[in-house]
Amino acid sequence: MTIKRRDDETWYKLDLSATVYPTLQSRRYSAIYRIRARLTKPVDPKLMQQALDLALPRFPTFKTAMRKGLFWRYLEPNDRPGPFIQEDIRNSCLPLPFHACNRYLVRLYYYDRSVSLEMHHSLADGTGGMCLMQTMLAQYLKLQGVDVPPEGFVFDIDAPADSAEIEDAYRRYATARVKPPRKSDPTYLMHGTAEDFYTLNTIIGVAPVSEVIATAKRYGGTVTEYLCAALLQALLQVQREEHRRKELPVRLAMPVNLRRFFPSVTVRNFISMVYPCIDPRLGEYTFAEIVDETRGYLRYYVNSHFLRGDITKNSSTERNPASRITPLFIKDLAISTAYRFVQNRNSSAGITNMGNLAVPDAMRPYIEQFDICMGQPYSRRTNCSIISYNDRLTMNFSSTIIEADVERYFFRQLVRDGIHVLIESNKEYPEDTGI
Amino acid sequence: MAYCVNCGVELDKSLRACPLCNTPVVNPADLAAPKSAVDPFPAKRAVIERAKRSDVAILVSVILLATMAASGLLNLLLYRTGAWSLAIIGGCVVGWVICVPVLIYTRLPIYVSILLDGLSVALYLYLISITAAQGVDWLLKLGFPILTLAVVLAEVMTLLIRHVNHSFLGVSTYVITSIALMCGGIEGVIDLYFHGHASLGWSAVVITVCAVIDAALITILSRRRLRGEVRRRLHF
Repeated sequence: MTIKRRDDETWYKLDLSATVYPTLQSRRYSAIYRIRARLTKPVDPKLMQQALDLALPRFPTFKTAMRKGLFWRYLEPNDRPGPFIQEDIRNSCLPLPFHACNRYLVRLYYYDRSVSLEMHHSLADGTGGMCLMQTMLAQYLKLQGVDVPPEGFVFDIDAPADSAEIEDAYRRYATARVKPPRKSDPTYLMHGTAEDFYTLNTIIGVAPVSEVIATAKRYGGTVTEYLCAALLQALLQVQREEHRRKELPVRLAMPVNLRRFFPSVTVRNFISMVYPCIDPRLGEYTFAEIVDETRGYLRYYVNSHFLRGDITKNSSTERNPASRITPLFIKDLAISTAYRFVQNRNSSAGITNMGNLAVPDAMRPYIEQFDICMGQPYSRRTNCSIISYNDRLTMNFSSTIIEADVERYFFRQLVRDGIHVLIESNKEYPEDTGI
Repeated sequence: MAYCVNCGVELDKSLRACPLCNTPVVNPADLAAPKSAVDPFPAKRAVIERAKRSDVAILVSVILLATMAASGLLNLLLYRTGAWSLAIIGGCVVGWVICVPVLIYTRLPIYVSILLDGLSVALYLYLISITAAQGVDWLLKLGFPILTLAVVLAEVMTLLIRHVNHSFLGVSTYVITSIALMCGGIEGVIDLYFHGHASLGWSAVVITVCAVIDAALITILSRRRLRGEVRRRLHF
């Protein structure tokens, strides 16, 4: 929602999801995600900088700085120079202090043929970030003489930003007459060995989309259901190997793009979480049964009715008069504590699937691969981000722990099912290990 | 093209080991002439800049020095009733000495830093005694003995925690014992100062309670099974 104070001064309220992420901000953690595109030719950083300078003003809520009010944070237009493209780094998704980078909440990196966009989650969800990424890539190609018409994620940079693009869509759809209670069941939590500060281990698996679709169909599910099931099974195996006295249910935190169910063109956050779960206390599950269970859960909960209830519940907390007049520092304390002890303990791992990415045909010959990274997990666990493009399905696991047991069991299941997986990783081995 | 023998996944040419199971890549075809591949990830690592300790130390020192100078000047030039600024200056000195092991010289042994903390508090007490009407008599007979006892107990407790037992139960025993000794010492010194002889009064109650708790703690500590049971039921 945009609020005009004077003709020349505009500021933006944070949307419902965006109010949570800044409260978790610390020296060690920022809610950052990364979208990386691998082009067919090496990146020209000067041209890419020009492309960013052309594309960013088209998204007024991204060219902003985070500010604190007495009761809420807000976004203020940022006219400082930047953000500037910089050489990429191995330990991606570094925490982003709000006062660093000329107060921008966007970072751009290049390395060889890759260009990576890192954004703070309080600006936008993956869809919003992808809009900026593709609009910027379209400008980059235009500067090289390739004409890319605005369509899909590519915006027309000459057209002014529509107010619908920067709306807080949660408010429009928080209309359910009942607020379903939040469930908080005991959940298995991983306890990996922490890496040195700051190391983000990334393992990317690349598989042909056609093979994954065919395999998922064989189990009677979709790609998301199949991959969720593979991750749930991997977590079950990790838990079993810990020989716990009391096994707990394993649960995934999965964001759902609400634009699929509620028409909106917003480039800001518009997601809700669902939690597919397998309870090993009910007995042994075969992999086919896990796929069935996941499929049943997602079919039951991922629809406009249940999601509207979730939005209404979350929105009501924000709209509550008592919470609105509570000073920001008390809200920060309450939200971060609730996140740490309730929300964070409600899932064993995170998974997100952006699906098959729509890219204008004119751009396709110049882009080889897309991958997304959910960034540093809040606790010692692993997050999996999936995206498909050009018959390449990339599964990006990011974690701050040394062990890669979950990733190993996940990819071994795919290989067992006959899927060809290519692995890339930024893991480093000390010289004395002999590797 | 290399595959992991354990996981069955194809590994990128830049990888020296499977990132899933850490099995080294040994491809007999590539042994003679290893292929050079572009690593899909850059080699450069970034670090997060943060304020250096020395900068914080300079900032703290400047703030404390400015406070001391300002209060001293105000006392000399404007508000001349008594040497009240000495209390503020002493407080600043104590604050600075406490900051030393944290900000300035972090390798200072903890025993020395406790001793320095004690000395700075002694200096503070001395500065207060200059301003007080009673003179330095209370300082010598009351202030210094209690301070010395506190410093000695702190040193002994640190030594025990570092070299004998640092478990929760062990530390609780030291703390309870120190409380008992401190209370006994305080009452003894006060009695000597006011009545000329030491006798146990209120501190006897504290010492008795502490002795009972200590006896229970030592029993728990000496019995392994009991110790395990208590830890299991009371962990937090």
